[in-house]
Amino acid sequence: MPSNKSSDPMPQDLTPALIALHGVSKRYASAARPCTALQDLSLRIQPGECVAVMGPSGSGKTTLINLLTGIDSPSSGEILVAGQPIHRMSQEALTRWRGRQVGVVFQFFQLLPTLTVAENVMLPMDFCGSYPARERRPRALDLLQRLGIVEHADKLPAELSGGQQQRAAIARALANDPAILVADEPTGNLDSATADEVMGLLAGLTREGKTVLTVTHERELGHFFTRTLLLRDGRLVHDSATARVAA
Amino acid sequence: MSPRWTKIWRDMQHSGGRMALIVAALAASMAGVVTMLSAYLVLAREVPLNYLGIQPAAAQLELQHEPSAALLQRLRARPGVRGAELGGTLLGRIQVGPQGWMPLMLFVVPDFEAWQINRVHADSGSWPPPPGSLLIERSAMAMSQARVGSQVQIELPAAGRIGIGVAGTVHDPGVAPAWQEQTVYAYVSQATLAQRGQPLPLNLLKLRLHDDAELPAIEAEVQRLAAWLAEQGEPVLQARIPPPRLHPHQSQMMTVVGMLLIFSLLGLLLGAVLTASTIGGLLAQQRRQIAIMKAIGARSAQIATLYLLMVGLLGLAAVAIGWPLGWAAGRGLMSLVAQLLNLRLDSLALPGWMLPASVGVGIVAPLLATLLPIWLAARRTVRAAIDDHGVSASAAADSGGLARLLARLSLGDAALTLALRNTFRRRARLVMTLLLLGGAGAMFITSLNLRAAWEARVQEAAADRHFDLELRLEQPQPLARLEPLLRGALPGLRAFESWSISATSLHQGGGLEVVHSYPDGGHGSLALRAAPPATALIAHRLGAGRWLRAGERGSVVLNSGASQASGLRGVRPGDWLDLEIAGRPQRLLVVGIIKEPLTPSALYTTPESYAELTGTAGHSNALRIALRDGSDAEQSATALVAALEGAGMGVKFLLTEARFGAAQGGHVYILVYALAFIAGLMAVVGLLGLASALGSAVLERTREFGVLRTIGAGSAAVLRSVLAEGLVIALLSVLLALLLATGLSARVGAVLGAISPQQLLLQLSPLALGLWLLLLLPGALLVSAWPARRAARLTIRETLNSY
Repeated sequence: MPSNKSSDPMPQDLTPALIALHGVSKRYASAARPCTALQDLSLRIQPGECVAVMGPSGSGKTTLINLLTGIDSPSSGEILVAGQPIHRMSQEALTRWRGRQVGVVFQFFQLLPTLTVAENVMLPMDFCGSYPARERRPRALDLLQRLGIVEHADKLPAELSGGQQQRAAIARALANDPAILVADEPTGNLDSATADEVMGLLAGLTREGKTVLTVTHERELGHFFTRTLLLRDGRLVHDSATARVAA
Repeated sequence: MSPRWTKIWRDMQHSGGRMALIVAALAASMAGVVTMLSAYLVLAREVPLNYLGIQPAAAQLELQHEPSAALLQRLRARPGVRGAELGGTLLGRIQVGPQGWMPLMLFVVPDFEAWQINRVHADSGSWPPPPGSLLIERSAMAMSQARVGSQVQIELPAAGRIGIGVAGTVHDPGVAPAWQEQTVYAYVSQATLAQRGQPLPLNLLKLRLHDDAELPAIEAEVQRLAAWLAEQGEPVLQARIPPPRLHPHQSQMMTVVGMLLIFSLLGLLLGAVLTASTIGGLLAQQRRQIAIMKAIGARSAQIATLYLLMVGLLGLAAVAIGWPLGWAAGRGLMSLVAQLLNLRLDSLALPGWMLPASVGVGIVAPLLATLLPIWLAARRTVRAAIDDHGVSASAAADSGGLARLLARLSLGDAALTLALRNTFRRRARLVMTLLLLGGAGAMFITSLNLRAAWEARVQEAAADRHFDLELRLEQPQPLARLEPLLRGALPGLRAFESWSISATSLHQGGGLEVVHSYPDGGHGSLALRAAPPATALIAHRLGAGRWLRAGERGSVVLNSGASQASGLRGVRPGDWLDLEIAGRPQRLLVVGIIKEPLTPSALYTTPESYAELTGTAGHSNALRIALRDGSDAEQSATALVAALEGAGMGVKFLLTEARFGAAQGGHVYILVYALAFIAGLMAVVGLLGLASALGSAVLERTREFGVLRTIGAGSAAVLRSVLAEGLVIALLSVLLALLLATGLSARVGAVLGAISPQQLLLQLSPLALGLWLLLLLPGALLVSAWPARRAARLTIRETLNSY
């Protein structure tokens, strides 16, 4: 069984973990009744892993992703990313950190509708000042080229198909060259062929040293991942890495 | 341009309708501020400049005789005296048209070339007027039907009826416009008068003093000079000291324009609130975009800067549109005020600071109003922004009061029930929209209340005055001679009463009679009148104490104007008044105060008492005459004047009630129209606010409309729901407008009461409310139509794909 108790010590892995969660819980207050989305979760993810986070609706997948990206903060426990305790960071510090360290891909692409595809990709560089202004467009075009949609660089998102929009969203997530790419059901809104293409692109990024975490419902995409985490009712019920070790 | 600025620019283009609403509202309110501020600043400078430009006399002393040149020379050499000149005034009549006559006030000048004190400005024609001619005040030209170079017929006490040439026109900023006072002002030399058979000793000594800033200092100096003149054998009959360095209407006008400026600033505040409301809607619509930007690295300050820049650009555009409009309207207002005050605006230049300051305010006001909603939106965490579904957590959790009530309330029509509940969905925005519309409604209703209150006063005054003609004679005439003359000249005579009149003033001690009036004798003058206790021609309404009793002596009743006059405020029945009457000090007991709107300050005493005080028993110099048919008052007046003149009785003036009514008109309408102007601007801002609020609500509810359509709601139901929401908000705003208008009307009434002897009791006028509803409800339907139409046209696919 995977480590899932707060009393468990952090696994003594010699390889420094890129992402480490220890005893992380997340509870939400609601008008009806308090809800525990994640309970006492501990986990380590190494650089270059391509991790699938799976589980039924309400199992805590999105909550886990939100905690790892700093979009949400844990009710208790610790989260270390590249050695940095992000659970202690202020919202502003998290924003700066996320902009440079994490690329986020959403299910509905979430490209800004009034900006062209290239401008959407340039936007993180603009906000974070990670590249000089004159280098931003060439870099955006380069990323779009790699993702195969450079010919659509100057179109508005609404003019693109779903698959093309998701490629643009991946290009935007890569704009600041982050070490970690987090995708929340990136193929949930795509047909199966396009979903395969997009997932292939994401998985391929691990060859460039990126660590990819993807929330997905689709078991048929499992072959793209090096590791699968299965959540149920806020608990990690299966981790293929520990299962393999155990095996 | 970097992507983030590109985003804001394109967002503005994309939300062009809402941006246009903001710019229109801010431009309208900016125009209001610039109108009032420019008028205030220019008038605050030009009114005193105009008045001080005539070198106004600090005091005018009426002497028994015309002093010698040597005495005048010695007077000029006295310490404290900066200048001294002689002058005189003479009342007569001027013919206007073949049959009509109007009162004429002649200002008599010893030498036009050497004229310095209370000097007028040459306007057209010849200056100085050639011997044998006169000059007419420019505002009286149309009324007197005179032309430069033509002859006019005037009638003077000694000279009788003479023809005299009009050499030109002058501008006299020291007198009210002729049409306002229904008096023609003219300027003539002493030599011309003598030549035309009307010799006039110039016994009016106009003084300029070194220390003329404060009234007590002027009064003290005047007392010293009066004592000195008495020692020289020239006793002073009366000293007229107007408020120092102050145009007769300056305080009132600046208070009114200042009040309008405050209202216009409130308008700008509402414009800023509308901006905050609309930008709040945009931020709500873009909450996910903001979340995405934060997710990809945008800091709160960067997000806030984007939207603040958007607001700054909108403010700049509004200033660019509103400033020139406001400046044009401001010039119009200045010109109107200049006409009302008989001023010449030599310069419309604005102070150097006004442009940058007003531009700054125009930009900063919306920025300040939007700072908090923008900062709160920029500060929201990514998760909170994504989880926002348009109903605040507090509203969603609110299971008490309003929420329970709304949940139970059903109008039978699902669309209408939904509209009612949606009205309260975004409460902060609802409050802002209600403030906008309620504020506009309050201003509109107040302006009409003011107009109604003034008209009520005019009607009240007319209802109290049961006569058609007011006659003033040059000299008191025996009543025994007057009665048969009247009956002979006026076949339609119904009744007449003697209401003799003479000037009076508060007794200052030291034997000097001091009045605080201007050179035209108005504004600050006080009259003592003989009032028949059982009068049938005046209906007096008691304010305090009692009316006069037949035959009583030594008692007076004050009218409302007198009870507010300088030195008489706070006087109550039972108080004693020390007055100067016919050159002698007299002590009279106040027995009552009557309400007498739109009537000059007067003290009433019985005819017996008046005769004793003035030594005019059996005589009268003023009659009030009632005709059986008031419509032929003008013809009757002509016949009466002819009869009186035929009998050798000089007529000072004969005023018909129609002319009296005309003289009252226009005094307060500038305020009414200016308030209506501001109210109109605010109504525009309010309706734009409603359009913006509904536009935002429709955008936020796009998905909801999709859901409604999937479960069977047609376009008509969606349309009805949005239109009904607009109407519900409009009706709610009327309640707020009524509440605000009650307070505002009372406040405006209090301000006007403080600056004018005419008390205006502002009450809510049903007509004002009706008119506001008539404007608001179609306006609300009109501005709701656009978002409603948009909502009704959305397809299910569009609605469900929105984020």
